[in-house]
Amino acid sequence: MNKLYNNKWYVIIFLLPALILFCGVLIAPIGASAYFSFFDWNGFTDKIFIGFSNYKELFTSDSIGFMKALGNSLLLAALSVFLQLPLALGLALVLGKKIKGERIFLSVYFMPVLISTVVIGQLWLKIYNPDYGVLNVALRAVGLDNLTRIWLGDKATALGAVFVPILWQYVGYHMLLLYAGVKSVPTELREAAMLDGATDGQVNRYIVLPYIKPIIKISVIFAVTGSLKSFDLIYVLTNGGPLHTTEVPSTLMISMLFLRNRYGMGSTIAVLLILLCFGFALLINLVFKEED
Amino acid sequence: MKKILAFILVLCMVPFMAACGGGGGEQPASDGGGEGEEVTLKLWCIATESDANRPAYLQAIEDYEAAHPGVKIEMEAFENESYKTKIKAAMTGGSSEDLPDIFFTWGGAFLGDFVEAGKVACLDDIYANNYTEDQIPSVMLNNTTYGGKHYGVPTTFNIVAMFANMDLLAQAGWDKVPETYEDLIKCCDDLVAAGIIPFGCAGSETWCVTEYLEPIILKSIGYEDLGKIFAGEATWNDPDIAKAVDTMQEMIDKGYFDPSGVALGNDEVKANFLAGKTAFYQNGSWNTGEVAAADFKSAVAMFPLMNAERSTVNCAIGGPSDHLAVYADGANVELASEVAVALGKEICHYNYLNAVGLPAWTPDYDTSSLEPLMVDIGNIVNQCEGLVLFGDTAMSADPAQIYLDYVAKVYGKEIDGQGFIDGLTKDLQ
Amino acid sequence: MRTTTKTREVFLYIGLFLWLIVNLFPVYWMFTFSLKSNPEIFGDNVIGLPKEWLWSNYTTALHTGNMGLYFLNSAIVAVTTILITLAVALLATFALTRLIWRQRKTLNKFFMLGLTIPIHASIVPVYVTLSKLNMLNTYWALIIPYSAFSLSMAILVCTGFMNEIPRELDESACIDGCGVFGIFFHIIVPLMKPAVATVGIYTFLQCWNELMFANVFISKSALRTLPVGVQALSGQYTTEWGPIGAALVLATFPTLLVYIFLSKKIQESFIAGAVKG
Repeated sequence: MNKLYNNKWYVIIFLLPALILFCGVLIAPIGASAYFSFFDWNGFTDKIFIGFSNYKELFTSDSIGFMKALGNSLLLAALSVFLQLPLALGLALVLGKKIKGERIFLSVYFMPVLISTVVIGQLWLKIYNPDYGVLNVALRAVGLDNLTRIWLGDKATALGAVFVPILWQYVGYHMLLLYAGVKSVPTELREAAMLDGATDGQVNRYIVLPYIKPIIKISVIFAVTGSLKSFDLIYVLTNGGPLHTTEVPSTLMISMLFLRNRYGMGSTIAVLLILLCFGFALLINLVFKEED
Repeated sequence: MKKILAFILVLCMVPFMAACGGGGGEQPASDGGGEGEEVTLKLWCIATESDANRPAYLQAIEDYEAAHPGVKIEMEAFENESYKTKIKAAMTGGSSEDLPDIFFTWGGAFLGDFVEAGKVACLDDIYANNYTEDQIPSVMLNNTTYGGKHYGVPTTFNIVAMFANMDLLAQAGWDKVPETYEDLIKCCDDLVAAGIIPFGCAGSETWCVTEYLEPIILKSIGYEDLGKIFAGEATWNDPDIAKAVDTMQEMIDKGYFDPSGVALGNDEVKANFLAGKTAFYQNGSWNTGEVAAADFKSAVAMFPLMNAERSTVNCAIGGPSDHLAVYADGANVELASEVAVALGKEICHYNYLNAVGLPAWTPDYDTSSLEPLMVDIGNIVNQCEGLVLFGDTAMSADPAQIYLDYVAKVYGKEIDGQGFIDGLTKDLQ
Repeated sequence: MRTTTKTREVFLYIGLFLWLIVNLFPVYWMFTFSLKSNPEIFGDNVIGLPKEWLWSNYTTALHTGNMGLYFLNSAIVAVTTILITLAVALLATFALTRLIWRQRKTLNKFFMLGLTIPIHASIVPVYVTLSKLNMLNTYWALIIPYSAFSLSMAILVCTGFMNEIPRELDESACIDGCGVFGIFFHIIVPLMKPAVATVGIYTFLQCWNELMFANVFISKSALRTLPVGVQALSGQYTTEWGPIGAALVLATFPTLLVYIFLSKKIQESFIAGAVKG
């Protein structure tokens, strides 16, 4: 059989569709973007080669505000790892213990993942509406009038208000991933530890967590790269406003491409975004390896 | 699978093809042109179901098709913001198949970029052969004239107007719209004292903020100077502009503006005005029909004079900003050009009668049934000595965005007047 | 000892219930305001059930908003994308796990790059290509890019499943005289059925939500997908919440319905992806 499986022609036939699709839609455009990032170009007229000027401008210009946008998405990544994931992990640990109503809890918690992001965005837009939104109405109803805010219009609250639905939507996603891990822990391991007198907390700490580390790693990678890529919800909720408070690299890129006609600069942001996602994925892999 | 394969092969060549300048390949006319055959022209516009321009578009198309059997006009309407993304993406990478024959465009730099790239058909012949100066005054074509050639058809003509709810003003003891700045302030104070919010302004759409700020600047420095600044012929470094900005911020500080406005869109702010929540609404004259239909007594005026030494009261922000243009590499450019101009003229006609815009084309139809509020605006325009086109339309895309950023900062009170002129002077050279 | 565990359990359940409400409430609120008129939404009945059930909001969303059509478009795009992704991923995974050649590991890593690439970064080059191929304004304009972006995850999942199929099966099929294609189609593919659901779910999540490509690549209103349709309708009815709510519900309800009936299966498949991947 090895002879059969050694035939190079089969390798080519089986891989070709995937390679073509992958290189064509993912790799070639990245190449194109990298190329355009060295030009000053509005998309229609002649390109002017300017070397690394776009990169330089991106990192130094205050009016573009790339560093701030980058900071926002890193903050989102941090919140995702240190707030969203622990919550998801906590839920997964609790639900993994065969408690009553496990199925219902699980099903409901996963539900937001299945709702279209645009729907979630439009829904939260209504929740945050300063005059009629359910959030301010509820605050007024319980007499906390002074806590009402123009959530998405106030520079102080906009970023937080945008992050809440993003984090909220994907708690269920990570929970289910981690829950799968918790369930895969062999019962014998658990029982043995219990027999030795370990408490729930100890079992989780010394048996379950180490066992599901590979899944935690995947969750962390998804959470971080997902945060860096986040676009749709922000686009629907604020499109980067007010005054660029909620700008992230993706929204900045789209406004460069289509609002400001700076095609070269938009491509520059695309390239940096890809490098960043990739770099973080490598870094997380490294961190988890170190720990072993 | 074949499709995917073809896709990939082409994609791998993208960097090279795009390097050729992305010039749309010349596809020969596939159909149309032939005698007796039906020609279909594609039209892209932003006249969606909720847009006040829609009835005029539909009516004009229906009329044209009825008068010219053999020509079919296929209209696709897109939401305003996504249209900008779309038309630019299409112009950047699209081939003639993907582009419409006729497209809606803003004047000034928005169309200018496409013209410079050779994507827009010149309409000089059509204007010269089929129309006279009496029908379309050349001043109405200025915003779409590049290098002395005409590329656009104005579909309407608008100025920034201050709409007032006279019922609310009456509650504060005013029976007419204040005519001087001092009176306006007094009136606003009276309104606030009566528990009425004077102005509504949509902060989430910065162009709405310019509808307030630009008239104040205009009435402070005059139309000639502001026009030069928008055209890039003079700098923003003008202390009177700083003063105008400070004036607007004082008005915000005094609570003249609805605080919820910063997070709302224009439609919501307009709805608040129409529902009687705010006393004034300063925005384009295309709102005239809707304001006239509201169930309160309405009036229209201009923002009052700020500085008599530099400006006159008789000037306004506005001009023909909405246009149709023709894609240069389409299959039926000649026919499309003819249709575009004829269509633009008729859209303008119906827009005027529907009170969603002033006529850029001289009316050659009965206007006796016109909305009185529209007539008032027409009278204001007739007295105007000068008009200055909306700033974000006059400037090209990148500077316009920087300018809008600074305007947003003014409304968000991140900078004061000095910061505004310093920043713009520095960033827009 | 017993009482402390009891109180702990009570607190646990309170927490779980609170989070349950946080997840259910927005959906409940969306459903109720989709049936109300503006005065009711803006007035004193913000949270309660509608006093007057305004089904006309749904007529508006279906007729003016064309939600039914957009849903169908989204479904066509999603299903085709899933099928293509699956076919391509199965073929590739077979080469990556069964066939013997050098650089196999490297290529696997290469495919995993796709997990981190943001879809928006390639919008204009992909647009240019689609345009050259005259594929804009067709379902393909979305299906092909979506398939490509779902491929990495699909390969990851399929690898997990395929590694679990014992190699002895290949051996015996080989002895019976099967060729490589025979083994692939008669032995491997039938045993990969569980992977179908898992890949389906991940691919669905990837392409059901996508807004930017769908907005730029499709101009014909007859081909618009759900996210674009919802966004357009919201732009048109900013001040009338009822029809927007109805559109949101229409966009969500069919998916939720399927989920309610198949939640166990869907979760299991999703989980399988996590454990095997």
